[in-house]
Amino acid sequence: MPRELGPSLNERQFFLQALKEEVRIDSRGFGDFRAIQLDFGDEYGVSDVRIGKTRVLTNITAEVTTPFPDRPFDGPFTITTSLSAMASPSFSGPPSETEVLLARLLEKTLRRSGALDTESLCLIAGRAVFSIRADVHVLSHDGNLTDAACLGVVAALRHFRRGDSEVKGEDVKVFTMAEREGVALSLLHYPLCVTFSFYEGEVVLVDATLSEEQMREGSCTIGMNKHGEVCQIAKLGGAPVDAVILLSCSNLALRHVERMSKVMEERLLEDAKRRYKGGIKAEPSSENARVP
Amino acid sequence: MPLDTSSYSLALLRLDGRRWNELRRITAQISTMPSADGSSYLEMGNTKVLCTVTGPCEGGGTRDRDRADIRVELAIAGFSGVDRKRVGRGDKRVSEMVSTIQSTFASTLFTNLYPQSTIHISLHVLSQDGSLLAALLNASTLALIDAGIPMRDYITASTAGSTSSYSSNDESADPLLDLNTSEEQELPFLTVATLGGSDQVSVLVMETRVQAGRLEGMLAVGVDGCKQVREILDDVVREHGKEVLKSGRL
Amino acid sequence: MPSSMSQQILLSPAELSYLHTSLSSSPPIRPDGRSSTQFRPLIAETDILPGTNGSARICFADGTEAIVGVKAEVEKSRARYTHADEDGEGIVEEDEGRGLNEWVELCVEIPGMRDDDSMPVFLAAMMSEALLADGEFTRRLYINRRFHWKLYLDILLLSQPSSYPLPLLSLTTHLALLLTKFPRLKSEKDEDPLFDDDWDASVFLYPRSSTKSFDRPPVTLLVMSVNGNIMFDPSKEELSVAEVVLAVSVGERSRSEEGDMVIDSGKTRDLRLLAVRTIDPPSRLTHPGVPNALNTATGGSAADTSEKASGQRETMAEGSVWQPPRGGAKRHQIAAMIQKVLEQGGVAEEVMAGLDGVDLG
Repeated sequence: MPRELGPSLNERQFFLQALKEEVRIDSRGFGDFRAIQLDFGDEYGVSDVRIGKTRVLTNITAEVTTPFPDRPFDGPFTITTSLSAMASPSFSGPPSETEVLLARLLEKTLRRSGALDTESLCLIAGRAVFSIRADVHVLSHDGNLTDAACLGVVAALRHFRRGDSEVKGEDVKVFTMAEREGVALSLLHYPLCVTFSFYEGEVVLVDATLSEEQMREGSCTIGMNKHGEVCQIAKLGGAPVDAVILLSCSNLALRHVERMSKVMEERLLEDAKRRYKGGIKAEPSSENARVP
Repeated sequence: MPLDTSSYSLALLRLDGRRWNELRRITAQISTMPSADGSSYLEMGNTKVLCTVTGPCEGGGTRDRDRADIRVELAIAGFSGVDRKRVGRGDKRVSEMVSTIQSTFASTLFTNLYPQSTIHISLHVLSQDGSLLAALLNASTLALIDAGIPMRDYITASTAGSTSSYSSNDESADPLLDLNTSEEQELPFLTVATLGGSDQVSVLVMETRVQAGRLEGMLAVGVDGCKQVREILDDVVREHGKEVLKSGRL
Repeated sequence: MPSSMSQQILLSPAELSYLHTSLSSSPPIRPDGRSSTQFRPLIAETDILPGTNGSARICFADGTEAIVGVKAEVEKSRARYTHADEDGEGIVEEDEGRGLNEWVELCVEIPGMRDDDSMPVFLAAMMSEALLADGEFTRRLYINRRFHWKLYLDILLLSQPSSYPLPLLSLTTHLALLLTKFPRLKSEKDEDPLFDDDWDASVFLYPRSSTKSFDRPPVTLLVMSVNGNIMFDPSKEELSVAEVVLAVSVGERSRSEEGDMVIDSGKTRDLRLLAVRTIDPPSRLTHPGVPNALNTATGGSAADTSEKASGQRETMAEGSVWQPPRGGAKRHQIAAMIQKVLEQGGVAEEVMAGLDGVDLG
C-alpha cells in the first residue's frame, strides 16, 4: 500500500504562519465552507456531492427481505462506504482507519439518531420488509469526507423512491416505477455533519482540505439537524481543546447545517420540477413520442 | 424496558440511589501484573477494566520517524455483559474506541522522546456497566503512569447525561454524572475526557440525540466529573508511590 | 503485541547443552532449584466477577495471568428423535439426562493472536476434549427433555504466553467451573423452566460435600521428560530442551459407596485419566551446536554439502554439543510419565489437594 504523502516541512511552516496572520491558503474565512454542489442522477436515489475537489457519489437501493428475528417490524438500513484507490492511492488494501471511522460516523449520525423511519418499511411483520442500502462511493478525496458523505446520503434518501407495494394476505407485490408512482421514504429529520479542525489550541477551521486535514492537531465532527438537535459529537482524541470552544463550535455547526439544508431543499425542488412533466401531459397517450 | 424516570423528579435520586452529581465508587490498583512494564485495574461501579502497558520497545515509527507509535488492543470479554456476547476485533465500535484511545494518548504522551519505538496498550474489559470508554481511558492513564512514560498530565474521563429524552422538551431536566448501563440505554449522554482536570477537552463523544441547549449543562457536569476522577486517580498513584517507598523496592 | 518475541527461544547452543545436562543428571537439577514434581507458586482468586456464573483468576510466579468467566444461558434443546417407536420406552429412558457436546462453547483468547490462530484453537480443542471426554460434564447441563443450560467458557490469557499456557488455563478453568452456580430450578419435569431468583439458594454445577471427595472438573497437567527424567510444570527454558512433552488431563470422580470401593480402598481419591496429548516441544526448533570436527576454527573441516553435514551429525556421539531432539517418544516413556501423574500419592493427587486449599468463597 503506498503511503499517504504528507505536506513538507516548508508547507507546514507556511501554512501555520498564514494561520497566525488569519489567512487560509485558499483565502477562505476560517468558518467558511467551499462551494457545495449537489446533483441528482437520472435514477431515483443517486446523489452526487461536490465540496471543492471532494466528490462523493451515493446510491440508494431497496429490496424486499425478511427482517431480523429480534426486530420483526424494522426494515434493515445499512450504509456501506467504499474508499477506492481512485480517490487516493493510499486507500487500496484493507479498510483503513479513515474508512472505519467514516462508516461509524455515518452510522451514528443517520442510524442511531433515527433519521430513517425503519418501521415504515415493514410490509408483513416478521415476514417481509423493505431493506434500504446506501452505498457511498468516494470518487475524489480532498478533505472533509464526512460532511460530504453525510450530505450525500441524506440527499439521496430524500430523493429516493421505492416501488409502491400492495399486501394481499401473505402475498406482497411491489410495483415497478412504470406501473405506479414510487413512494418516498419516511425520514423523521435530516441530520448533517460539520467537521471542525483544530490548530495550535485555538484556531478552528471548518471544511478542511486534505492538506489542512493532514496538518491538524485534532478534529471534531458534530452531527445536527436544522431544528437544533445535536445527533452526535465525535472528538476522538487528538489535541485537547477548551470546552468553551467546543460549545461555540456546536453553535457554528447549526448555522452551517441550516445553510446546507437550504441548498439541499432547493436542489430537490429543482430536480422535482425537472421530473414533473405537467399534470395532464403525464397521462399515457397512444401517440408515439419519438415521432415529431 | 423503559426506565422509570418519574421517581427521579420526586426524590431527586437515581435508580441506584445516587444524586445527580455523584460518581459511582471508583477503585483502582496499579502494578497489578508484574510481568508487564505498567499495569492497572480499575472499577467504576460495576465496570471493570484491566490495562497492561508494554514498552516503549524497539521497532515502530512507521507513521512518524521522530515519534513512538502507540498500539492499542482492546478485548471485550464474552462474559462482560448481561448476556454472553462475543465482540470481534473487527467490530466498528471497538475499532472506534481503539482509535480514540490511541489518538488521545498520542497527543498526551511525550512520544518524541522515544523515536522509532512502540508503546503497547492492551485493555481487557471484564465487566461492563456503562461509561466503558471513560473507564478504559482512566485505566490506560494509570497503567501508563505505572510504566513511567512521561506525559503532560492525567487524562481523566467520565460520562454525563441528561434526565430528559430528546422528545420531551421540559426545562427542568437535570444533567447527570457517571451513567450506568440502564441509564445509558434510556438517556442522552456523552463521554468526556479532559487533560489534568482542566477545561481542556481531549475526547468528547456523544451518540444520542439531544437539544443543543442542553449540551452546555452536560458538558459542564462531565468536565467537573473529570476533575473529581483526577483527584481519585491521583490518590491511587500517590498511595502506590508511598507503598513502594515503604517496602524499599526502589 | 510482541508475541513472536516471547515464543522465541533466546538461548545459545551452549546454554541449551548446559541446561540439558543438568536436567539429565539424577536427580535433575532444575534452573530454579525445584524438585522434579514441584510446582511453581501461584496466586488464585475466585468469584471475582459478580456478572458471571463462575469466575476465577490465577497468577503464576512467572507473571502469566489468566481469567476465566463462565456464563450459562437456558436454551431450547433440539428435538431428539429416538427409535422408540418399536421397542417401547426403553430407549427413551436411556436418553434421559444425556447431554450433547454442543452445549458447551469454549473460547481461548490470547493477546496479540487472532481467534483463528493455531495456538488458541489448539488450546481450546485440548481443553474441551478433556472436559467432554466422558460425557459426564454435559449431563450436568441437562434441565429437562426440552431445555438445557448452554455453557460459555471464556478463557482469557492476560499476559504474553511466556511458557506453554495450557496448565495455567486449565487450572483457572477448573476453579471457575468448581464455583459455577446455577439458580435453583423451581419448575418440575418438562415444564418451561422457572428458577428461584434467590441467588443464595443456587446450586453448584459440581455439588460438593465437606466430608468425602466429590466430582471435580478435569485438570490438564504438563509433563516433560529429559533423558528419562520426568519433570512437572516445566518453565519456558526447560521446555526448550525437552524431549517429550505430554499434556495429561485428569478428572476426579466422587467415591461411590459400594462396588469398586473394595478395589481401591487404599486410595484416597478416585482419579481417572481423561486425555493425553503429545505436544511438539519448542526444542525441535533450536539451533544445533557446531562440534569441533565440523568447525574450521578448531581444526575440523566444514562439510561441503548440507547432506554431508547432516550425515555427520547423525553419526555424532551423543553429549558432545547440543542437538535438537529427534524422533518420537518411546512407549514405555509415555507410560512412565502417565504413571507418575496417576499413581497413589502422585502429582495429580497433590494438585487436587492443593486446589482443595483454595478458598472457594
